[in-house]
Amino acid sequence: MDMLLEALFSILTLEGLVTILAGVTAGLFIGALPGLTATMALAVLLPFTFTMSPLQGLMALGAVYMGAIYGGAFTAILINTPGTPSSIATTFDGYPMARQGRAYEALAAATIASVVGGIIGVAFLLLLAPPLARLAVVFGPAEMFWVALLGLTLVASLSSGSLLKGLLGGCIGMLLSTIGVSPIGGETRFIFGIPALQGGIELIVALIGLFVIPELISMAAQGRGALPESGKLQGGAGAAIGRMGRHIFGKPINLIRSCIIGQIIAIIPGAGGNVTSLVAYNEARRFSKDPSSFGKGNVDGVIASESSNNVMVAGSMVPLLTLGIPGAPPDAIILGVLLMHGLRPGLDLFTETGVLTNGFILSMGFAAMFLLPVGLLGGRLIHRVVVKTPFYFLLPSIAMVTILGTYALRNSMTDVFIMLLLGTVGYFLRLIGIQAAPIVLGMILGVIAEKGYVQTMLVAVVDPIPWLRLVANPLSIVLACLVVLSVATTLLPGWLERSGRMAKVDSDEEKTS
Amino acid sequence: MTLRLNTDFAAGLFGLLFAAVLWLPREGMGRLSIIFPRAILVIMVALSLALIVKAFIKPAARQVEIEGDPRRLVIMIVVLFVWWYAIDLLGFLVATAIVFFGLTWYLAHIEGPVPVRRLVQWVPVVAVLIGAFYLAFTEVLSVRLPSGIWS
Repeated sequence: MDMLLEALFSILTLEGLVTILAGVTAGLFIGALPGLTATMALAVLLPFTFTMSPLQGLMALGAVYMGAIYGGAFTAILINTPGTPSSIATTFDGYPMARQGRAYEALAAATIASVVGGIIGVAFLLLLAPPLARLAVVFGPAEMFWVALLGLTLVASLSSGSLLKGLLGGCIGMLLSTIGVSPIGGETRFIFGIPALQGGIELIVALIGLFVIPELISMAAQGRGALPESGKLQGGAGAAIGRMGRHIFGKPINLIRSCIIGQIIAIIPGAGGNVTSLVAYNEARRFSKDPSSFGKGNVDGVIASESSNNVMVAGSMVPLLTLGIPGAPPDAIILGVLLMHGLRPGLDLFTETGVLTNGFILSMGFAAMFLLPVGLLGGRLIHRVVVKTPFYFLLPSIAMVTILGTYALRNSMTDVFIMLLLGTVGYFLRLIGIQAAPIVLGMILGVIAEKGYVQTMLVAVVDPIPWLRLVANPLSIVLACLVVLSVATTLLPGWLERSGRMAKVDSDEEKTS
Repeated sequence: MTLRLNTDFAAGLFGLLFAAVLWLPREGMGRLSIIFPRAILVIMVALSLALIVKAFIKPAARQVEIEGDPRRLVIMIVVLFVWWYAIDLLGFLVATAIVFFGLTWYLAHIEGPVPVRRLVQWVPVVAVLIGAFYLAFTEVLSVRLPSGIWS
């Protein structure tokens, strides 16, 4: 406790607070640019921390991480472009809300959810790091396979009308993720003699292509901007924030559930924020009284996505600080900084250098709190820019940032070509009912599912029935049951409705009432 | 514009073609590399066939709505690919300046004729916008942008 108080006082200085504020602001703007991920934000700003003390450097990077993950929500809501992959699920309802003139409501909801998620993640990290770290190592390849399948059940929710087309989209995504060097076998696959494809298709490249390019093409064809100018705020910004605050805290179950999901998935190394927000979104939809409104502008979708991905920021530090295993890609950079300052993950981090570690954790809590003023002001500014800029300036500007962001990933014009190609094909696929979301979902989860499945089969090579290894221990059985339950609860209402049973139940209920 | 198209059939056909493209080069790969893609390919073919069967038995939408002007749609796609090609050829700054200005003029043209005075007013705005992003990426983010024939 003394150590915690000492850590608190060490960050509550003008210099400390300014560092956090600057970190959050820088992270927010980098995260808001399509193509620039939280990992890239940390990598770019890392050299600036070399001259700082270890605590100040870690505080700055923690704040950048928090700001970048949250910043992805801005473009996700305003121009249907996830700034970072962890805000993919934010686009599903955030952009429809913006198109309905409720952009600021969506931004306010995303901000409040991010702040709460960030603080809860820090609380989890402070209180439950050692027991949660033990849980992290229980997840082996078979469990990861089931976690990926659990995420893939979201395809059913994202299918918008046709489950077959949603599943087909998921398969396309999974196959796209297999292009390049095989993660286990080490051979190159499906590169058609093009050396540039050896590194595979970057998720961000596909993400930008599939989400941004169809929207740009559509905006040009219709001669419109990203958002209608009629999107005025009802009762002003303060009223919108108040409405969203009442909505989130009036029925906090969605927020609590999303934070718990975010924390559980965050501690699994390799899953990352992309998966947390998708699973949390899926569960919000499944437990909602009005699941059909998801994807059409239900604010609960934005809350689920944004709270879970900000829980992940501190949550993914659990395996990092205790076991030295980065829970998500940006954590690898934090690990590098820790090692650079001679700090080794493990129990010593919480005892011998406890003031520094606790100071770093607490600073992430402050960074989460700073998201509120910075996010609401920044959100208003960016919203105004998107609405007020004439579409003939906005459209080339978005295209330019998209090209720059894609190129900057690997300094590759081939990536830009792949992005444009996927975007153009994605536009026509959208016309025939294959949406971008299941394809992207397949790309994210395909890699995890493949690694889990192939590694399990490799271990089970001497077993008489190898695939039984997938359900060989209690945790994988529980996860497999969750997958079955998830599929059943997603498909059952549709099947009951089609067979007429749902209508009958409804009418019976009406008669009795 | 409305096109008459059986979307189930089109989606199924696309799935089969995509699977065929990836099915052919699978020889020469080890079991560990092919086991997962092969499973997905089989599932994909099954889904595509199911969609084609559904297209004849119980088809979904039989028409596709393309919102806006199809000519502008095609031009936008072409411009994006020309932009990509021009960056490789002329470098980022020159290619972006030309395409950005041309695209802005073309899109503004939808609302009515664009007088020369307005075009002149845009020059500093476009220059500042491109220059700011160019400097941000090259100087702050240390990204070496293509310089094309000028390198």
